[in-house]
Amino acid sequence: MTGLVRRVGGDHPYLTAFALFEFAFLILPSLIILIVSLGSNQIITFPPTELSLKWYASLLEQSQYVDPFVNSVVVATFCTIIAIPIGVMTALGLNRYDIRFEHGVQIYLLLPFTVPLVVSGFILLILFGRIGWIGDLWAVGLALTIINIPFMIWSVASSVNAFDPTLEDAAQSLGAEEIQTFRYVTLPALMPGVISGALLMFMLALNEFIVSLIITTTVTETLPVAIYGAIRGNISPQIAAVASVYVVIAVAAIVVADRLVGLERFLHS
Amino acid sequence: MSIREELHDGQARARWYLMDGLISVKNRLPVDTTALSDRFGYALIAPGLLLVSFLAVGMGLLVWYSFLTYDSIEIFVYQYTLANWERLLNTTAFHTVFFRTLLYSAVVTVGTVALAFPYAYLVVRTDRPIFRYVLLFGLFVPFFTGVIIRAYGWLIVLGKNGLLNWALGTVGIGPVAFIGTPVAVIVGLLQYLIPFAVLMLTPAIASIDSDLERAAKNCGANQWNTFRYVVLPLARPGITAATIVVFTLSMANYSIPDLLGGGTLGFAANFVYNKIFGTLNYPFAAVLCIVLVAIASLFVFVVFKRYGTGTLGVEVSEE
Repeated sequence: MTGLVRRVGGDHPYLTAFALFEFAFLILPSLIILIVSLGSNQIITFPPTELSLKWYASLLEQSQYVDPFVNSVVVATFCTIIAIPIGVMTALGLNRYDIRFEHGVQIYLLLPFTVPLVVSGFILLILFGRIGWIGDLWAVGLALTIINIPFMIWSVASSVNAFDPTLEDAAQSLGAEEIQTFRYVTLPALMPGVISGALLMFMLALNEFIVSLIITTTVTETLPVAIYGAIRGNISPQIAAVASVYVVIAVAAIVVADRLVGLERFLHS
Repeated sequence: MSIREELHDGQARARWYLMDGLISVKNRLPVDTTALSDRFGYALIAPGLLLVSFLAVGMGLLVWYSFLTYDSIEIFVYQYTLANWERLLNTTAFHTVFFRTLLYSAVVTVGTVALAFPYAYLVVRTDRPIFRYVLLFGLFVPFFTGVIIRAYGWLIVLGKNGLLNWALGTVGIGPVAFIGTPVAVIVGLLQYLIPFAVLMLTPAIASIDSDLERAAKNCGANQWNTFRYVVLPLARPGITAATIVVFTLSMANYSIPDLLGGGTLGFAANFVYNKIFGTLNYPFAAVLCIVLVAIASLFVFVVFKRYGTGTLGVEVSEE
């Protein structure tokens, strides 16, 4: 055993064993959902007596899960699409230009993090209620953009910081127009930050729960809210099948992230 | 020319036309784009500021609401009162919940940062790509699987007919009720927060020159002393950031205390939610929200003052 641990972990055998234990702890809830969703009994049993996909098959006919799933995807897409330009502009503006009270602006932009989510939800319920946006799907997307935008700004900012501005001067001295410089020099250099930020925004919006719980109606209900409603009733394997969709999406997102920008990229944002 | 080449050619030409068009539009704009550089910065950050202003304006709105009079039918009437704030002092149920929230959050914060540190350290320092990928996988699967799904997973693990009780049953220990105990809530919160802490710690650990660790070892320090006197002090910005993020996320959490606490171990967020949707008492909910924000901000402020912003600030290169 120590031999194996040593081979995996290099010169930190005990630390490695500890980290592998933590890995199991972190992965356990997601893994158990996948396993349980494949059981065929009406109630959850350990270990599953026989494997079946019947719970997955039964899902597609139920609008109680399909509609919220569609809502979640629409909301997450909306959130990502508006977060990209805002994140790029804010990161560039803060980094490249003299902004007065820059420190204050940065603290202000951290507001979505310091305001507890349940409070943000209440605030948006009141504000959107007054404007008359409650019940609109895009408003849910806007709400999720508001609470998650710092992730996008950070992610792009780390790319902006790593970018050498003299490359832009070089492009312009070779005759490139400002727009061309932005399109062919600046933007490609920022792409890793934009991609990782966009992926984060999409996944966070897809998963967001408490703000959605507060501001969604039966029409705009998102999938985590629907799952929450179902869990309070019982813990049937069918809900495990719905929940495992999230686990599968998470794994897919990791593979995509690894291919596009490398997982390490996320550690720098 | 093959069809594909022609298509490619056409695309390239279209792209050039588009770019030329954009440039000519830009040149015809009445503003001189090179001269407004500084003000252009403000224009760039404006949308971001506008987005966050929803929360800033909302905070003001909450302060206003907190002085309005609660009415069980109208939700509130526009009559100023201090009753909601007085109620804060007299509601012992809230004091209990609030104390529980802070106590659990403190325990969870210490536990999370302690558990996340070795994990983050190995993510940065391991020289085996596969092991690093495994660690990152263990980090991002929970991070990308929302809090509800994970709480649900813990319900299956810790529930009465759950995995743990099945395992205990095979060795003859009768079913133990985990759900509704502090252990379940703390385990759920730890698993929820470790990924956040690791993400905050890794940049700080990565910026420690590994030569320093090697130098300490060469000078005769064992692994513990190297960690205690070299790694830990240098990783402090990361620890600061992780502490702040973990504590604020923990004390504002709704779903884990709700689902794993079995309805008896609610946090402040659950209390607020019940005031909003149970009794529709918006003014009192506003008071509670302001208190929550105040505690969170005070904590952040104190830690910032004492230890600096850590890895949290948007870094801006000094020129």
